[in-house]
Amino acid sequence: MGLPLTYHWRNLFVRRSTTLLTVLVVAAVTAVLAWLLSFAAALRTSLAVASDARKIIVLKRGATAESNSAIRAEDMNLLTQVEGLETDPQTGRALISPEMIVQVQLPRLADGGRTAANVAVRGVTEIAFAVHRNVRLEGRCFAPGGREVIVGRTAARQFAGLQVGDTVNLGFGQDRGYVVVGTFSADGGPMESEIWGYLPSLMNAYNRTLYSSASLRVAPGADPRSVIARIEGPAVQLNASTEADYWREQAMLIRVYLAVAGVLVGLMAVAAVLSIANTMYASVAGRTREIAMLRTIGFGPGRILAGFVLEAAMLALTGGLLGCAACAAWLELAGNTKDMFGATTFTSMAFEIVLNPRTAAEALACVVLVGAAGALLPARRAARLPAIAGLREA
Amino acid sequence: MTVTYVLMQNLRRNPLRSGLTCLAFALPMAVFVAALSFVVALREMAEANERQLRLAVHHKTSIINLLPAGMRRRIEALDPQRSRLTAVCGMRWFGGRVPGTPNTLTSLAADADTFPAVYAEVGLTPAEVEAWQRDRRAAVAGRGPAEQHGWQVGGRAVLESTVPPYLSLEFTIVRILDDPQRANVFYFRRDYMDEALREAGWDADAVNIFWVKCVSAEALRSLQRDIDALFADTPDQTKSEDENAFIANFTQAAGDIPGLMKAMALVVVFIIALVAGNTMMMSFRERTGELAVFKAIGFQSWRVFAIVLGESMLLALVGSLLGIVPAAAVLALAPARGLNMGPINALEVSPAAVAGSLAIALAVGAAAGLWPAIRGLRLRTVDALRTPG
Repeated sequence: MGLPLTYHWRNLFVRRSTTLLTVLVVAAVTAVLAWLLSFAAALRTSLAVASDARKIIVLKRGATAESNSAIRAEDMNLLTQVEGLETDPQTGRALISPEMIVQVQLPRLADGGRTAANVAVRGVTEIAFAVHRNVRLEGRCFAPGGREVIVGRTAARQFAGLQVGDTVNLGFGQDRGYVVVGTFSADGGPMESEIWGYLPSLMNAYNRTLYSSASLRVAPGADPRSVIARIEGPAVQLNASTEADYWREQAMLIRVYLAVAGVLVGLMAVAAVLSIANTMYASVAGRTREIAMLRTIGFGPGRILAGFVLEAAMLALTGGLLGCAACAAWLELAGNTKDMFGATTFTSMAFEIVLNPRTAAEALACVVLVGAAGALLPARRAARLPAIAGLREA
Repeated sequence: MTVTYVLMQNLRRNPLRSGLTCLAFALPMAVFVAALSFVVALREMAEANERQLRLAVHHKTSIINLLPAGMRRRIEALDPQRSRLTAVCGMRWFGGRVPGTPNTLTSLAADADTFPAVYAEVGLTPAEVEAWQRDRRAAVAGRGPAEQHGWQVGGRAVLESTVPPYLSLEFTIVRILDDPQRANVFYFRRDYMDEALREAGWDADAVNIFWVKCVSAEALRSLQRDIDALFADTPDQTKSEDENAFIANFTQAAGDIPGLMKAMALVVVFIIALVAGNTMMMSFRERTGELAVFKAIGFQSWRVFAIVLGESMLLALVGSLLGIVPAAAVLALAPARGLNMGPINALEVSPAAVAGSLAIALAVGAAAGLWPAIRGLRLRTVDALRTPG
């Protein structure tokens, strides 16, 4: 039989101030860790959505992103002759969506408009909704003739002036207001950070004669790799990648950012381990007689060791819960949307950072490990105390 | 028996605890000195930018919308006497990268005639200005790519553009910049880029941004209003911002690293304060009786106070040095600009940041020791001697 849990729980209250200070150290580290894990999870979700295996993004050779690619109408015609594309069952046309990416500078809501972000504006035609299958309209779509746009869900939350009914100024010239007529979702993918409008209207507004990119769908029976090979081959000579590869590359900068933050949190977590070790050493030193007593009445060294590790884990878990609560409160109060540049574009990808139960559980698991690691050496000292000599100690 | 002697003895009494506390102090302090260096570097950069009195004028819709290069004459015509502005330099984004590498440099084509005046702080020598004016292929490069690709002054460099029409241009380096804030830049002449653009059948004579060098802060504010008003009713509406506001748009978009660093620094101070406080609390509790003995044999109260406070501050000092010195050494030997990611390039350890970190550590040590030290001061000798411990 092990020592009862209540014994350890109550022991934590014997040195109240020491326990409290240690709990707070753990809480601070957990709060930062939980935020970081939530951010990483938001990025992962966003990228996982944008990994339609049958969707291919076509760019000009030498371009690094849709926003700095330029494709001529002749190139677009060459694409229709590529074998292995899915066709529209009604019209029989290949599912190729010609697109233009530009950007508009809009104030961030998070800092009250003190800084502005570059929000991607995508010109599309009707066929885009057949190619980008996860895009779902919430409300009305833009009318092809009018000056209307629809905005992604995340963009509407992160940037100012994108509510339905608002007017956004796009392009050059005088009379260039586009009315927001609806919003759309994309299962949380990066397209939710964009504004979509009718391609010919936007090309006109921006004085463009070239498309930026094309998105196309591979037919159910065909192999995406051979379609990519055909597009990159001598007949077409464009650059093609699957959607997953494209966005993975765009998120590079964000991953470096997360790695840097991860190293910093790691260093702080080691500090928490040492702090717990300190507390547990003091606890063991102050309870020499008590431990000796437990040994004499029949608790083996293994149980003593397990008991102390458990005690530290409880301490860490308390701190961890407090830290998760602090992180959730911070996200609630300070705003939970964040936007960052893609690696090679100047357009922003916005994320909504949510501390979901899974992320919280991950953070707590890390913290319990931190607690147990810190307790290991002090607990070993406790387990090795000579029982008789310990009893004699003052 | 001096206070110092007692201090050293006390620290040696529980070497394990002293060691753990020092380490628990050292690791967050390593984070802290890096974070503080970054904040200091950004502040210095912001102050330097402010002194340069440069106004950024770009298209209101977006920085990617090109403005006709001819607008420069109209901006200059606002102040023919040159009582408010010194010079105007148009710049066009080139987005070049060294062939075969993934990193896009902050590469811009600048008006050849005004670049040396508008970017005076770059510090081109008269000979370098002369080389810049003489050679259409002249370029000024940051030391990040220069070190990486072995560029030499007088030598060649080739960049390929990542924006249409994806030009590939060859340059002659006239100067390599030491400034860490400009580690990733590459400036070259716009007439050279325009020539290549025309050959490729593309529109030339356009810029993304005009930098207006002003004579005073008041002149900058008035020009900011006048320029935006001048183009308000044209297809090329402008948005003018001072350099810091302009840069803030980018640092925010790169993940608000300054904000992250500040938040990390705050958390670190919180953690080390708790760690130090915890240790001092434990030490005091175990030694209450001993402190009472000191008092009983004639130590004045202030000495007891000094012993407790001194121990806390000494721990903080040793711990913070253990963290700061290696962190500073690592950053000095392996500069962050090697990572080549935007604002992080500016991260270099500064003496101000090291001094600031030490001061914060000592303040935290003092704060952590204060409560036990006051209790030591107020300790009633007779009571304390009676309680065991």
